[in-house]
Amino acid sequence: MGKWKCGILAGALIFLLNAAPALGQGEPGLGEIALSARTAGEPDEFYDDYDDNDWYEEYHEYLPDPLEPINRAFFVFNDRLYFWVLKPVATGYKTVVPEKARISVRNFFTNLAFPVRFVNCLLQGKVEGAAEELGSFLLNSIGGMGGFFDIAGAAGVRKYDEDFDQSLAVYGFGPGFYIHWPVLGPSTLRGTVGKTGDLFLDPLSYYGEYWYAPWSRGLNVVNDTSLRIGDYEALKRAALDPYVALRDAYYQNRLKKIEE
Amino acid sequence: MKHLSFKGELMRERFLVLCVFLFFPVVLPCPASAGGPLDQASETTDKILAILTDPEMKDASKAQERKALIGKVVDERFDWEELSRRSLGRHWTSRTEEERRAFITLFRELLERTYLDRVEEYSGEKISYVGEKVDGDFATVEAKFLTAQRTEIPLLYRMRLKGDAWMVYDIVIEGVSLVGNYRNQFQSILSRRPYEELVRMLQEKVAEEQ
Repeated sequence: MGKWKCGILAGALIFLLNAAPALGQGEPGLGEIALSARTAGEPDEFYDDYDDNDWYEEYHEYLPDPLEPINRAFFVFNDRLYFWVLKPVATGYKTVVPEKARISVRNFFTNLAFPVRFVNCLLQGKVEGAAEELGSFLLNSIGGMGGFFDIAGAAGVRKYDEDFDQSLAVYGFGPGFYIHWPVLGPSTLRGTVGKTGDLFLDPLSYYGEYWYAPWSRGLNVVNDTSLRIGDYEALKRAALDPYVALRDAYYQNRLKKIEE
Repeated sequence: MKHLSFKGELMRERFLVLCVFLFFPVVLPCPASAGGPLDQASETTDKILAILTDPEMKDASKAQERKALIGKVVDERFDWEELSRRSLGRHWTSRTEEERRAFITLFRELLERTYLDRVEEYSGEKISYVGEKVDGDFATVEAKFLTAQRTEIPLLYRMRLKGDAWMVYDIVIEGVSLVGNYRNQFQSILSRRPYEELVRMLQEKVAEEQ
């Protein structure tokens, strides 16, 4: 009974999760709001005095946040969603499923998302990365029992965590501005387009009756969260303004991934 | 006449520069007598690990003592002033010396309180050092943090040479700089509110952690 309820909740969550970017695509007026943009972190003259290596280069890319009031509202919404729904579900799941099994489930979903990494490696001209990803996929799928065991990773083959957002960035598209989606969380205009593109390469979109595959995606999210309980809490605890802390962490992390 | 003497001065200067250049390698002793930034960083993590894995310190009643010990080791390796200065960014310049001292103490307390608690959750995570890049008095040390669930998290320490000690002034986790993250938060707060308000927020946050 409890599990059944959890499933429904997770399913609903995942429906929202996947519907949100699609709904947001054609929203009118975004451009108008963007015109009155105020920038997230204004250029900081102070740093010009400190000429140490690559330190301030990364801060010369500022992410505009014209939708800040709306984003903040969605941030509060997601925060509650995490503490009231996702965390209790993931905690329950964690007590029932042993850690080794949860790591295997994570491996399975990571292996399954291989086409996203493979195609985006190719889109970015990373032939070696594409080859390594293909090798890991075959190795893990066949030798790793359908991807449950990451034997390629254990053998030291590195993962190329490429996605369409990064490909677009490599092609010279800017991030646009920051968007904090309800349920989905931190993204940018480019990130949203990227995520939508990646959905076409995700096998889960073609599996089963519905493209949003509520059960599988729900399991993936809950499983992932169960392995990461405490991370978001730590970020929140250390932050004076958790919204800004998360926005900055998201964007800095993106910049690093794009750079790689 | 004047013109000539100026030229003479210029020549002398050039000569001096040349001398410095020629003798530089001989005159200056190797500054890395106490080991490079990587060695020094790994020495600190070794010390912390030794405290965390010390069977005598395992007991729950020793938690406070253990935290204090780790805090001391961390203080020896962290340049809290540089970290605070960079986090406040341009707002640092308009603060009095007194305000700066108070800010450093407060900020250090906040970071130590929040992060030392996470260190307490230690359950077999490992740090392995990958390499270092030295550029004059500045260096970056690359490391990898291996979680108990076998996820690798890339780490980067930004360090500065002070005397013969390499001091950490920023930690970059998965591309996210600690200083940069706080700088963004401080900027955002200070763009709407006075500095006193920021101090009050910091004080509240520290009090919450107790």
